[in-house]
Amino acid sequence: MNRWLDRWLTLMLLALLGWAGWSCLHWLWHGADWTVVVTNLPLYAVGSYPDAERWRPLLCIVAVVVLIVITLLGPRHGGWRRSLPLLWSAMAPLGIWLLAGGLGLSPVGTQSWGGFSLTLLLTAGSGLLALPLGVLLALGRRSDLPVLRGGSTAYIELMRAIPLIAVLFFGQLLIPLFLPPGVEINRVLRAVVAFALFAAAYIAEDVRGGLQAIPPTQREAAAVLGLSPWQSLQLVVLPQAFRVALPSLTNQAVGLLQNTSLMAILGLVELLGISRSLLANPAFIGRYLEVYIWLAAVYWLACTAMALLARHLEIQLDPVRSAR
Amino acid sequence: MPQMFRRGRFWIQLGVVVALMAFGGLLINNITVNLIRTGLGLDFGWLWRPAGFALAETALPYAPTDSYAWALVIGWMNSLKVILVGLLLATMLGVAAGAARSSRNRLLRSLSGGYVALIRQVPLLLQLLFWYFVAFLGLPDTPVGGLIHVSNQGIRLLGLNLSVEFCSVLTGLVVFTGASIAEIVRGGINAVSRGQWEAFRSLGLSEGLGLRRIVLPQALPAILPALTSQYLNLAKNSTLAIAVGYADLYAVSDTTITQTGRAIEGFLLLLLSFLLLNLVISGGMALMNRAVLGRLQRSR
Amino acid sequence: MTIAIRATDLVKSYSPGLNALDGVSLEVTTGEVLVVMGPSGSGKSTLIRTFNGLETLDSGSLDVLGVRLDAAHEERQVRAIRERVGMVFQQFNLFPHLSILDNISLAPIKVQKRAKAAAEQLAIELLDQMGIREQAHKYPAQLSGGQQQRVAIARALALDPEVMLFDEPTSALDPERVKEVLDAMRQLAKGGMTMVVVTHELGFAREVADRVMFMDQGRVIETSDPQSFFSNAKEERSRRFLSQMM
Repeated sequence: MNRWLDRWLTLMLLALLGWAGWSCLHWLWHGADWTVVVTNLPLYAVGSYPDAERWRPLLCIVAVVVLIVITLLGPRHGGWRRSLPLLWSAMAPLGIWLLAGGLGLSPVGTQSWGGFSLTLLLTAGSGLLALPLGVLLALGRRSDLPVLRGGSTAYIELMRAIPLIAVLFFGQLLIPLFLPPGVEINRVLRAVVAFALFAAAYIAEDVRGGLQAIPPTQREAAAVLGLSPWQSLQLVVLPQAFRVALPSLTNQAVGLLQNTSLMAILGLVELLGISRSLLANPAFIGRYLEVYIWLAAVYWLACTAMALLARHLEIQLDPVRSAR
Repeated sequence: MPQMFRRGRFWIQLGVVVALMAFGGLLINNITVNLIRTGLGLDFGWLWRPAGFALAETALPYAPTDSYAWALVIGWMNSLKVILVGLLLATMLGVAAGAARSSRNRLLRSLSGGYVALIRQVPLLLQLLFWYFVAFLGLPDTPVGGLIHVSNQGIRLLGLNLSVEFCSVLTGLVVFTGASIAEIVRGGINAVSRGQWEAFRSLGLSEGLGLRRIVLPQALPAILPALTSQYLNLAKNSTLAIAVGYADLYAVSDTTITQTGRAIEGFLLLLLSFLLLNLVISGGMALMNRAVLGRLQRSR
Repeated sequence: MTIAIRATDLVKSYSPGLNALDGVSLEVTTGEVLVVMGPSGSGKSTLIRTFNGLETLDSGSLDVLGVRLDAAHEERQVRAIRERVGMVFQQFNLFPHLSILDNISLAPIKVQKRAKAAAEQLAIELLDQMGIREQAHKYPAQLSGGQQQRVAIARALALDPEVMLFDEPTSALDPERVKEVLDAMRQLAKGGMTMVVVTHELGFAREVADRVMFMDQGRVIETSDPQSFFSNAKEERSRRFLSQMM
């Protein structure tokens, strides 16, 4: 009896899926008006960056894509493979230099940054700030010193209780209050700092989980060899903790990319933000479906690429597999 | 850490305290200067002044002449509405989708897998905007039976008027959180040993019954902690409602702060509200955790 | 004849009323192999862990290689001792994320500030002595228990210690693997290393030990040469323990 119900259910679902799939494909090809996407591709990519300098953020995006392809699909072995981590770490300062200018390139203010290049920069900038801060918070929370422990715990618990949009919004309003009068930082920087402060709390919990997974015998073994507590942390405990925490950390990274979209609510023109201003343009009014499908595809590709990179990193760091 | 060092610690602690105090002192100095300069501070009198803005959705009667405090209360209720219903529906969807991954029906398995893979890789905000602009605002005017009426101005369900904003926030949250819950449920079910499946099948129990009565109860201890954080996430994500014009707690706070300029008090109120929400949800889940573990212990 | 370790009236308790060490006194001469035996909870592990500062003392005095370690010892003193006193644990405790070579050369490079090439050369030589030179570039997870323990011994030896402490080195090994580790320890003893070994391996004690010390409930019950101990132990408790072991 179950078998029959099963088969009938499957057939129904298949029929439904088939019909849905067909209508979608049909609409995608005939019904949709893709001009809003096609004619504005530069905007989606780099926002309203000055025309003459457009090649800079574009180069940034292309460099990242090339690096991803090489990392995932390139040959497994070879000496040049060792330079990959270096190349990846160079991406962030390179990106900032290309976008901001200075040192040979004409300076471009952050209000002109936009589109996917801004999304990438927000993700990388916040991530790079949040990671060391998160590690410090995790160590602080496990410290024996009550001041550090209490302070870290309070910070982590508070930040994890508040929604991100509130942190971003109040970041815009309250960060200037902490600066000496007369010093001003632009909106993008405020957003990056607020975002980093938020993400650091979550990273701290992931790293703390990793630290907890390392048995105290490892610390003992390091101690009896004469390693100082700092050396033991740096050479024995933290490397192992990171490997354990890696899946959670990469999850955070994907979340970071996705959460840059919240900056659109604050008026920043990263990928989602620029789409909203486009949709307000009388020429493209009502083209929600096309734009949102296009955005969904871009985000989906970007997140999937990150997930693949994460898995690649996990395999590379697993000492047994990489020794083969 | 083994108690191998003692006197060194005192100096480290002192050093850290001094550094933190210096940094803190710098911040406090800046804040006080800026607060005096901008006229902000800690004063809650403005809460009782008339709000002056209208709210589209009100569970209780509200008029623009009512106080800011009352407006915030309405915002609170709107948030609770969408959070409570959202938690319920997301759990149902998540458990169904997560369980479907262990189904013998390959199509069901792939559908569930596809759902999770798609939804988790697209930002929630984008999904909310989709539900609002494309789905619910684009609904044709159709009565479905006598009790349900669907249109692009909302859904009338059994006498209740559900606005487009409420529906889109709810649907977006449920679909998004449901995908995360599905992954958690899948993990929990996988953690139950294969032997349990073989046991109930050889006893002739149907898949559905076996899942509900044998496997899921044993998967619960693994599921509950992660479920709690997903619930908290849903509560926090409900604040994205501002993007579609739903008057939740955050949206009302936002408008209030924009109008009165009292950012610090507004921030504190919001912080307190979410700490309270956090406490209630975590507390409730902790009780449930204990009840579930208790039942499992007794059955051994 | 120099005294490597001199312990006088060591007392340590973990909870009030329960003394892990209850007034233990002993002397270990340079070049001697001392085997410590006793039932679980007798304090033998706690005792050797005080010799390199892993456990603190509540009272009593301890001189290790001329350095005084008592209830109020400083961290820096303890660290200085650790370069001269090597330790091998029951659970090996190798660093899983480092290769065998890196496991052994880590401390010489970071603590003794030796050059990387020299440290790695030393590591290879030690692996050779242990008979597992070919494992140098593998990772701990790829080695058997017996091999891992021999790496642990090499790792401790890399600092060129004057005393080696062994905390039940073969208790976590499969029976077939025990011999290879005991053989390595035997070689070490023959080379004149001062060793304090906590173990249940009676054969090893009989053949290699210069003295056997029996502990129970935090106290030293009896100390004598292996011959006398195994054939004609003086104390009732020692005899009872031996009969349970054999």
